Amino acid sequence: MTEIANEKKASRLVVWLLAIVVGLVIFYLLDHAVMGMQGLPLNWDLTPAQ
Amino acid sequence: MNVLAKTLGFSVALVVAFGAVAYVLPQMEGPAPEQHVVNLDELTMESFVAMGEDLYSGKGTCSLCHNALGRAPDMLEFNVTEISLQRIADPNYEGSAGNTEEYLRESMLQPSAYVVAGFGTKGSNDTESPMPVVDKAPLGLSILEIDAIIAFLQDKDGEPVSVPLPVATATVAPVAEVTASAAPQGPEELIVKFGCAACHAVLDSQAALGPDLNDIATRLSAAEIRESIANPAAVIGDGFIVIMPEFPAMTVGELEMIVAFLTVADETL
Amino acid sequence: MMAFITPRRIRRARQSAGFLATVPTLIAFVVLACGGLATQVSAAEGDDAVTGVSADEHDVARTTAASLSPAPTPQREDYPSIGVSSRGIVWVIAQMHLFFGALVLAVPIFVLVIEIIGFRTGDDRYDDMAHEFMKVSLTAYAITALFGGTLALALFLLYPHLMSYLMTAFGSQVLVYAGLFFLESMLLYIYYYGWNALRYGNRKWLHLTLGLLLNGVGTTLLVVANSWTTFMMAPSGVDPETGAIVGNIWEVMKGPLWNPLNLHRVIANVAFGGAIVGAYAAFKFLSAKTPEEKAHYDWMGYSSNFISILAFLPLPFAGYWLMAEIYAYSQQMGILAMGGILAWLFVIQAVLICTILLAGNYYLWTGMARSEGADRYRWAIKYIATVLILGFLVWVTPHNVIYTTAEAVKLGGGNHPVLGPLGIMPAKNIAVFLMLICTFLSFQLYRRADKVITVSWQYWGNALMASIYIFAIVNIIFAGVYYGYFTNTVYKVGSSVIQVMSTVVVIVAGVVIDSLMFRGAKTLHVSWGRVAERSQYALFALPIAFTWLMALMGYVRSSVRTHWHVYTVMPDKSADNFIPTLQTVGNMVTLVTLLFLAFLLFIFWIANLSGTRQLPVAEDARSQHAGAVT
Repeated sequence: MTEIANEKKASRLVVWLLAIVVGLVIFYLLDHAVMGMQGLPLNWDLTPAQ
Repeated sequence: MNVLAKTLGFSVALVVAFGAVAYVLPQMEGPAPEQHVVNLDELTMESFVAMGEDLYSGKGTCSLCHNALGRAPDMLEFNVTEISLQRIADPNYEGSAGNTEEYLRESMLQPSAYVVAGFGTKGSNDTESPMPVVDKAPLGLSILEIDAIIAFLQDKDGEPVSVPLPVATATVAPVAEVTASAAPQGPEELIVKFGCAACHAVLDSQAALGPDLNDIATRLSAAEIRESIANPAAVIGDGFIVIMPEFPAMTVGELEMIVAFLTVADETL
Repeated sequence: MMAFITPRRIRRARQSAGFLATVPTLIAFVVLACGGLATQVSAAEGDDAVTGVSADEHDVARTTAASLSPAPTPQREDYPSIGVSSRGIVWVIAQMHLFFGALVLAVPIFVLVIEIIGFRTGDDRYDDMAHEFMKVSLTAYAITALFGGTLALALFLLYPHLMSYLMTAFGSQVLVYAGLFFLESMLLYIYYYGWNALRYGNRKWLHLTLGLLLNGVGTTLLVVANSWTTFMMAPSGVDPETGAIVGNIWEVMKGPLWNPLNLHRVIANVAFGGAIVGAYAAFKFLSAKTPEEKAHYDWMGYSSNFISILAFLPLPFAGYWLMAEIYAYSQQMGILAMGGILAWLFVIQAVLICTILLAGNYYLWTGMARSEGADRYRWAIKYIATVLILGFLVWVTPHNVIYTTAEAVKLGGGNHPVLGPLGIMPAKNIAVFLMLICTFLSFQLYRRADKVITVSWQYWGNALMASIYIFAIVNIIFAGVYYGYFTNTVYKVGSSVIQVMSTVVVIVAGVVIDSLMFRGAKTLHVSWGRVAERSQYALFALPIAFTWLMALMGYVRSSVRTHWHVYTVMPDKSADNFIPTLQTVGNMVTLVTLLFLAFLLFIFWIANLSGTRQLPVAEDARSQHAGAVT
């Protein structure tokens, strides 16, 4: 029983980690796209390039 | 009825509460700019500079953007004379000013001639300035007012004021002092440009192929004069024939200037 | 050939006729809209519409003699006066016209949508509710026209020079506007009075088409009238030196502020209209006698609030676009509005919008009592409420207040070191977008409250949703703080678009993920009518705040012209050409809101009255209570 519970816990952790990564990527790309479209490019660390 | 009383009471109370918010905030009135005549005989450099300072935060609305919030350089915080000379010396500077006074005047009349880094319109990469041209609407500053502001900006840092005090006999200097791309011409130049004197008696001409323009204001209204130029064949004066050409290249501004000149022509002679 | 045309085929064709009537109409609308958009874009790309036609480009030969006249310049003594402030009169009448105009344009929009939902689901409740909403709108229509006519008379009487100039500018377009009202009235009356006659099948399609046409004409009326407003703020098609009209009617209409105002007003109208009918539903709920009535009006109130909040969410973006275009047209005008003398009005705006958000949220929270599945989410309410209150406090904080010299010395400058930075746009943007996200969260939780999700991938879906919320919030705060305080102005202004898009991502993701997750979900019982009475007061607070806000923002829009009738072209030399104090503004807005309340009561009463029927008076004592029966 504990093995299944642990497995469930591990897979849930994976799900959360993946969700966090996806969330980060979405908004990181959003920042670049939105500022780029306005003629305000950013560096990779999101600082202004101009 | 009870429901109506409760809901109505709640509604009215809420409306009044919102109205009360307006009472606790600072009260300011914004008067429209009034025109007053400056008595040039009594003008001293001190009062001229003071006038410039008034204009800076008043009619000129300079302080609306030139302040610490970052929209435009905060000129009250640095030495304008020194910084102007620095800007002129900047390799990116492509304007035609050679000293502080010229630089300030150029900045006001042609703001996009040189834009300080970081203050340009979004997306223009500092080639376009969001600053309005000060002698056009809605600001409409006169030469006198522009000079007063320049005098103020020079004086506030203790620097010498290079702007001469305006004298009573000086005619209104045309904007053409600063090289603008389309130097506006006066009505006399326009009459020469469009060749009116070839057929009409106006200015120095005595031509009689068309009606005498020197006293045209006594015979025609401004609207009729305007129509006669825009559409010469519409109304022909007694005893004249249709030979007046049309002027497809004449702009509306030029037309207006000529009409205004002709309606007071008999007074200027 | 004749064998092809069977009776069955004829019957099928007739059944489809209604559908076939609607589709071309829809296509025609889309084509017209695209055409309108295309000409707007092409006109905007040329110099003409955006910067005003320069005298060099439009010469004398192309224009008529009359329109070459420069803009009139009346002096103070030229203005007619009837003894009271002309501006005050026009202010009240114009604002009343705008209130009612907004209402009668908005209601058919969401009525059509509700009618379509009723048609698709076959649920009569939607159709009946749509019909009931239209009843309210019909009475308001006459009042709109009355105020419109009075406004026109007042304007011609009190500002004849301005009106003659505007008539020169717009020419026969004003006759088109008047003519459209014939069409609007015809469509409105057939749409409302023909509701039950055109109830099912083919006829229903016809009815829907009429509703679509009604909305098309109504929207056209709105954009035509908007062109007069935006022309006064940012004139196009005129010679900038003299004000002479040198452009054609399209150049005059399509100024830089026209479409931003169009979009803002269409969306805001829907939010406003939804709030008004919500108040109607709330009033009927509180006066309801039977549980069925209570359930009906509770549901109506919820639907109205849904429409209102749904339309309210994109409103800040539309308003932002309008403000951005004002800044682009004239930075001076923009700064006057938000950084100059009019800036204090936006503190009042903060109070009003926070009232709207709190009322909308509160209604959703109390509404969760209708379903027992809501207990799962109650824990979130206090956090959402905290964010809303904190957001309100930040938004309402001004950048500076008028200090005495002693206070300024103590502060060490013009601004408070801690609270001062909260007074500028980046802080306000963080506040408002977090508040919008929280409102959407309330809404999402409410929608989940009466369902048990059964899809297999729900853990993934919920984790993704949570992650999107968290990182949207982080992104909004990061963009606001970093670009707002640590980079230059252009990046600061550009970062607000990041915040907008982050909010949009949350809303779109929420709607998409939820609609996928609700497939096959188990629905719990929703007890319509089982909700606290105090929740209905939220439905009163909503339209009151909306109305006050609309009047306030209308004043800002009008006042930003300062001492110009038509900005930069025709100066205002009347006795009222100054910007009044905040107290005056507050008084006027309160006055028009109370007036509107009074008229609204009248409209609700009429809507109610039309459904009552008196019993015949009998001789015997038993039927002495021959009163109104609903």
